[in-house]
Amino acid sequence: MSSPVPKSPEQSEKSKKYDRQLRLWGDHGQKLLENAKVCLINVTALGTEILKSLVLPGIGAFTIVDGEKITEQDTGSNFFLDNDSVGLSRAQVATRCLLELNPDVHGDYIDESPEHIMAHTQDFFNNFSVVIATSLPEKILLPLSKQLWEANVPLIVGRSIGFLAYLRLQIREHTVIEVHPDNEIPDLRLENPWPALREHLNNIDILKLDKKDRSHVPALVILYYYLDKFKNVYGGVPVTRSQKDVLRNLIKEGNSFNDEDDENHLEENFQEAIHYVNTCIGQSRIPSQVQALLDDERCTNLTQESSSFWVMCAALRELVQSDGALPVRGSLPDMAADTINYVALQQLYQKQAQFQAEAQLYQKQAQFQAEAVYRRASQIARSLGQSPDTITEHEVKLFCKHASELYVARGSCIAEEYQSTAFDISSYLEDPDSLMLYYAIIRGLERFISEFNTTPGQFDDQVEPDVLKLKGIIGKLLAEWGCGQAIRDERIHEVCRYGGAELHSVSAMLGGCAAHEIIKLITHQYKPLDNTFIYDAITTNSATFVL
Amino acid sequence: MGDSQDPLNKRWDHLRKILERPGPFCHPEFEPSPEILDFIMTGCKILVIGAGGLGCELLKDLALMGFKQIHVIDMDIIELSNLNRQFLFRHKDIGSSKAEVAAAFINKRIAGCQVTPHFCKIQDYDESFYRQFHIIVCGLDSIVARRWINGMLISLLNYEDGVLDQSSVIPIVDGGTEGFKGNARVILPGLSACIDCTLDLYPPQITYPLCTIANTPRLPEHCIEYVKVIQWPKENPWGIQLDGDDPQHIGWIYEKSMERALQFNITGLTYRLVQGVVKHIIPAVASTNAVIAAVCATEVFKLATSCCIPMNNYMVFNDVDGIYTYTYEAEKKDNCLACSQVPYTIPIKDPAKYKLKDLIELLCESASFQMKNPGLTTVIDGKNKTLYMSTIKSIEEKTKENLSKSLVDLGLRDNSEVMVADLTSPSTMVLKLKYLVSDVEME
Amino acid sequence: MIKLFSLKQQKKDGEASPRSGNQKKPSAAQLRIAKDINELNLPKTCNTEFPDPDDLLSFKLIICPDEGFYRTGRFVFSFKVGPNYPHEPPKVKCETQVYHPNIDQQGNVCLNILREDWKPVLTINSIVYGLQYLFLEPNAEDPLNKEAADVLTNNRRLFEQNVQKAMRGGFVGGIYFDRCLK
Repeated sequence: MSSPVPKSPEQSEKSKKYDRQLRLWGDHGQKLLENAKVCLINVTALGTEILKSLVLPGIGAFTIVDGEKITEQDTGSNFFLDNDSVGLSRAQVATRCLLELNPDVHGDYIDESPEHIMAHTQDFFNNFSVVIATSLPEKILLPLSKQLWEANVPLIVGRSIGFLAYLRLQIREHTVIEVHPDNEIPDLRLENPWPALREHLNNIDILKLDKKDRSHVPALVILYYYLDKFKNVYGGVPVTRSQKDVLRNLIKEGNSFNDEDDENHLEENFQEAIHYVNTCIGQSRIPSQVQALLDDERCTNLTQESSSFWVMCAALRELVQSDGALPVRGSLPDMAADTINYVALQQLYQKQAQFQAEAQLYQKQAQFQAEAVYRRASQIARSLGQSPDTITEHEVKLFCKHASELYVARGSCIAEEYQSTAFDISSYLEDPDSLMLYYAIIRGLERFISEFNTTPGQFDDQVEPDVLKLKGIIGKLLAEWGCGQAIRDERIHEVCRYGGAELHSVSAMLGGCAAHEIIKLITHQYKPLDNTFIYDAITTNSATFVL
Repeated sequence: MGDSQDPLNKRWDHLRKILERPGPFCHPEFEPSPEILDFIMTGCKILVIGAGGLGCELLKDLALMGFKQIHVIDMDIIELSNLNRQFLFRHKDIGSSKAEVAAAFINKRIAGCQVTPHFCKIQDYDESFYRQFHIIVCGLDSIVARRWINGMLISLLNYEDGVLDQSSVIPIVDGGTEGFKGNARVILPGLSACIDCTLDLYPPQITYPLCTIANTPRLPEHCIEYVKVIQWPKENPWGIQLDGDDPQHIGWIYEKSMERALQFNITGLTYRLVQGVVKHIIPAVASTNAVIAAVCATEVFKLATSCCIPMNNYMVFNDVDGIYTYTYEAEKKDNCLACSQVPYTIPIKDPAKYKLKDLIELLCESASFQMKNPGLTTVIDGKNKTLYMSTIKSIEEKTKENLSKSLVDLGLRDNSEVMVADLTSPSTMVLKLKYLVSDVEME
Repeated sequence: MIKLFSLKQQKKDGEASPRSGNQKKPSAAQLRIAKDINELNLPKTCNTEFPDPDDLLSFKLIICPDEGFYRTGRFVFSFKVGPNYPHEPPKVKCETQVYHPNIDQQGNVCLNILREDWKPVLTINSIVYGLQYLFLEPNAEDPLNKEAADVLTNNRRLFEQNVQKAMRGGFVGGIYFDRCLK
């Protein structure tokens, strides 16, 4: 009998139900989601659509704040207010309908207006992982924004009107360990191999291998070999493009000294080695954005309140100071077998063994370094007076593995944006198709609602007069911002014609976007929106602005 | 009429503002009126293909955009792993038809909406079914099914003297998602890029070289593929085809792959990965489905009401890093096998005497064709038939007797279409036979 | 600009009567395979067999190599073209038992364009040439039959003898091969 093989594990009900999303954010992301609680202010179609896409994947809990009663119009755009509920509490009915979606989720509601809560329970909103506000008038939005900014609770603000949708994310500081880049650059460390890798690679002399063996050496061995030659001649690693061309030529020649000089005859492993020259050689050892994090005050001046991210950063900083490099990621990209030349089977297995030997070297080094960072991070946490189990070994491993992607988002406060007077959007407005004009319109719309307590074009006979009023407001706003441009009347007319109508499919689109931004914030994975998103469903175009 | 006309019913006020007021960005021919809402509520018939992640969202979105005459078709039953996004289904519904449960839920939640479910394959219905719809919306995860419905709607196009009769166009609105990426598109069959025009946009399935999986596995995926492709057919533990939904089968694959991974010293093989590779699982979340379905539903609304110009014609979406969308015009291919064939009408004076070889002679000798070795096929009573093909010996031998048969004897009728492949043209050509005698005379 | 529906042509129910002489159109896969087949340009060592000339989606290819290790043999491959052709390649199996480094006992064939390197621009002709090449230049680098690949690398003479023995019908390496001489 060979060594026993593990039997297939029993899959839990939860891991079956959430399988399709666990493949994206992992069990650790799911755990964070299940521990999170969000608050929705105002049961608009947009609001419930956002909650729907949070309840389905299993958010821990939600609370709805809304003091209104359900109108007939509400049931014509909101799926989570049923037919016969007109006149009942919006918060109550939406909570019930949303909870039906997932028995794992807790939900409750407060049948009070957000003003009332702001006035009576000042800190109520500070207790959530994220606060969602839809169609919230300026006079409540601005103090709420300030308060949550102070408390470092993310706030996401949305409005859906006619074919227009607007989303604004307010985050003071948000840390991301896994950004899930589309193209990951392999972490080969050939310029500065650690001793075990150097010893291993120095033991392979490519020129001493016969043709067959040479065609089966993994690409990284080839790259190391010729990089070494390059360094001997030029005294350093190639950085510029022409230097890299020299290295590429060295590799090419190394493969073709007995063949005719035909590029098509380059063996696959040599081709791969040439391919890696561009991305894996001559890069700075520590990406500048990671170095900036290690030098950040949050990293250098830890306090008892410091999050585990910053504690781990501090431990990482020490490792980087002593090693001069980030921890090794620990995984190698697949390096394909050659498909052209003949070779003995035995050697295939040797090659196989060799690749695995290298893969294990990388793995071992990564594990070794992660353990060092873990020990140090735990020490730091203890010295700060934090509980010793705030940082888990798993978390540190993940942190080290993704050390080159670490990302911190720092946003701006909505209240400040609204109070800002030096706000020059003229350059955007020079382009008549820039969606920035909708930003100006939405700001005008918000001010209109505050001033007149209704949306422009609410009543059929008021569309034309409201166009004039809104135009006046927007003109004033632009003047306040010192912006010389004007917004074309037809754009303003279009928004007035909506009369505050909320189109379900436009809200559903924005709701999906907003829900995923919230999942990003909760799981600390993927880069969130920075910071304003505008969608024009007429042309199906969108744009992102940093405000 | 319906509740759209009732002035006391304020439920659809949101839609009425859009449909009963003029706007500067409306379709040039848009004429605001209450009749439009009445049309989408009573006259406009929509087919939703697929009641899965996109389908559930589409049904909700369309119902709340005022559509009431909705049909939904899906052959699948509800599984536990659907519940993280297919929000019309509950735990108690597992094992029931997706189409039926989804339709019942919508009809209950939105009074007046009449969703008709079809628990079957799209291929179970013929053109008389598909012809009844004004717009068809697809929420599919299969390229085969997309190509099938694409072909079906192209076959419904009517050409008069080579000019498309626009009233025969049934628009397709198609959505697709994978993880945090998705796309939505509008297809006007015969007028804009169709599914086959843009086949390159669909990524091929990931496959590994057979020899790598057989001899030099390096990744856990190589081990799983080996067990699936080579070891299962060889050992066939239950004497049946591998069923990715059978936990016993997956368990077997897992254990054998694990054995192989240990043998080759490969790490990282998990049960989840085995399931993913064997079933080609595409990761899916509620949010992306919500976004893509909503974009599709908005386009259906634009097409049906003319309140705006529809998207032209392809939107990609990705919210891995911020929120990104890009809309562009996918190009119609001149030589698309599915949609470029404008039938070429051939008048036939005496079909009872006109022989197949006469037709081939015409194709080779007429100045407008000048073909070399035309291969002719057709469809008779829904079955493919090879009329003649000279280039393949075994086919030539079996079809040469057709040469001296008349068109009528071959079963070809007035308006029958003959597909002609020839070296001289980049795609297959369609000939439409126009008999200059009435069917009555032929009897 | 197309405006699809005038409110006048609202109802579709009544008009479901099909146009005269209407017929189901062949699928895009059908059209493409008809073109591939009509334009097959077979080398003289290859032949096709269509059991049903109306079904262009399943056929056999017979290869009788006229040079190389396999020059006296006759090898049959089955082709099954699916509804997703040419997005997906056809499924090809070797029906003749053959002692060959790139073909296993189950008839699996290791040819890159049948799997990982398939592209919709490739045709049935490309596959035919690929298969023919496998008999001219068996490839020990990509083995499916490891023993055969091993012998080919280390002892070409023995490999040739084994191929001959297998084609005449008999045991090679404990495996029985059916006779497949032409």
